[in-house]
Amino acid sequence: MAKINYIEYSGEERVLEVEPGQSVMQAAVAEGIPGIIGECAGNMSCATCHVYVDEAWLERTGSRGETETLLLEEVCDPRPNSRLSCQIKVSESLDGLVVRLPARQI
Amino acid sequence: MNAPAETGGNGAAYWDPYRPDLALDPYPAYRRLREEAPVYYNETYDFYALSRFSDIDEHFANAEIFSSARSDVLEFIKEDIEVPPGMFIWEDPPQHTVYRGVVGRVFTPRRMNDLEGQIREYCKNCLDPLEGTDRFDFIADLGAKLPGGVIGMLLGIPDNARDVIRERVDSSLRTEEGKPMEVRQASFQGEGYEEYLDWRAKNPADDLMTMLLNVEFEDETGTRRKLTREEVLIFVNVLAGAGNETTSRLIGWAGKILGDHPEQRRELAADLTLVPAAIEEILRYEPPGPAVARYVTKDVEIRGQTVSAGSAMLFLLASANRDSERFPDGDRFDIHRQGPPHITFGRGIHSCIGSALARVEGRVALEEILKRFPDWTVDAAEAKLSSSSTTRGWDSLPAFIP
Repeated sequence: MAKINYIEYSGEERVLEVEPGQSVMQAAVAEGIPGIIGECAGNMSCATCHVYVDEAWLERTGSRGETETLLLEEVCDPRPNSRLSCQIKVSESLDGLVVRLPARQI
Repeated sequence: MNAPAETGGNGAAYWDPYRPDLALDPYPAYRRLREEAPVYYNETYDFYALSRFSDIDEHFANAEIFSSARSDVLEFIKEDIEVPPGMFIWEDPPQHTVYRGVVGRVFTPRRMNDLEGQIREYCKNCLDPLEGTDRFDFIADLGAKLPGGVIGMLLGIPDNARDVIRERVDSSLRTEEGKPMEVRQASFQGEGYEEYLDWRAKNPADDLMTMLLNVEFEDETGTRRKLTREEVLIFVNVLAGAGNETTSRLIGWAGKILGDHPEQRRELAADLTLVPAAIEEILRYEPPGPAVARYVTKDVEIRGQTVSAGSAMLFLLASANRDSERFPDGDRFDIHRQGPPHITFGRGIHSCIGSALARVEGRVALEEILKRFPDWTVDAAEAKLSSSSTTRGWDSLPAFIP
């Protein structure tokens, strides 16, 4: 299991124990964390699971894919550390990962 | 059929999408389905229905078993209609993936938010002439105009032509009360748009129709090509149809629900920053598309019960949205609700492509209504609800303005 820390826009923190293989989006949606919608269920079409990855974790979460890059131009308030959380697969090496949620997805 | 609400006459939980008394208030029946028959089978109309959030969450996105290739409308699935190519909402991968990719970039959150100014202007044009009125109809005065206007703006079709087309599309999907939809009424080939398409081909502009005419993509055979004229017509028809009635219903439900909850309405009118959350709660509480159908491609076991290949499965999104396992005290309307998002826009590869647009339209419409009419009382005697196996909402929702 890996601990993922979701920090809501309000500052509220929620730590989830996530099974490796799940995406950061899936775990959030399953637990009902407000602020991550994930309507397309990881098919990279809705762009509603946008998160900011904590700088310390940028390298370990890997780089954006081609479609993801295009979609990240389409979210509200994109930043250099923006990712679609459906594209971050949880592994033991991401134990402790910190992601911050944007003010809004839409 | 005069059975009491929620039962089929023998005391067992009962629901179908046609019975007028159930259409009026399906929620007690949904609750019984969730509690007593989570994998419900309706013998009269030969379909299954899932009603609990957890079941819908688990199965709805599984397009391999729950196929859209025979449409997402119960009656059409049963008739085994022929779906024309390009009708991407009624296709499975790989065709669906290719077609959806073509329009996927058009309806993104950023692009839809960029339309806010134009949407607000459209609302103002509808609402300003009503200043000082003592009567406002959420549908006739705004709900029937705005969504078609916005989708027309995107497509580049003038207002007057749009009204004619909208009437045709709406009537093609209208059902007689208490009865299933007749397949022969349906039209999805895009009749009515041909002349604009041909004109637009010669007069390109910065609009969606021009984009569809020019976009190059790789189809499922790996061939790089443009959309055919037939495909463009179907795309236009799908987008115009899907973006029209549903959003009109959202505006109607906003009027109805906030009419029923005056305290929350006053709170909203006093603080418009609460509107986005209120729209989400309205979408949860009364989804314009309460049920979506799929064709079962192979035997599947759900809660120990086998649903066999060839069945029709209805996913009762409106019921999932009220499931207290997911949404505590689910039947309570509360704009301050914190918690997980509703499932009104679906889940998976077929999730609503226009959800960002619907949200912007809903938000701006409600803001502009509340600025002018912070108080209203629905004229229940004159309000008219209509319901089919796919949508449910108000055809007319007049309100008294104090």
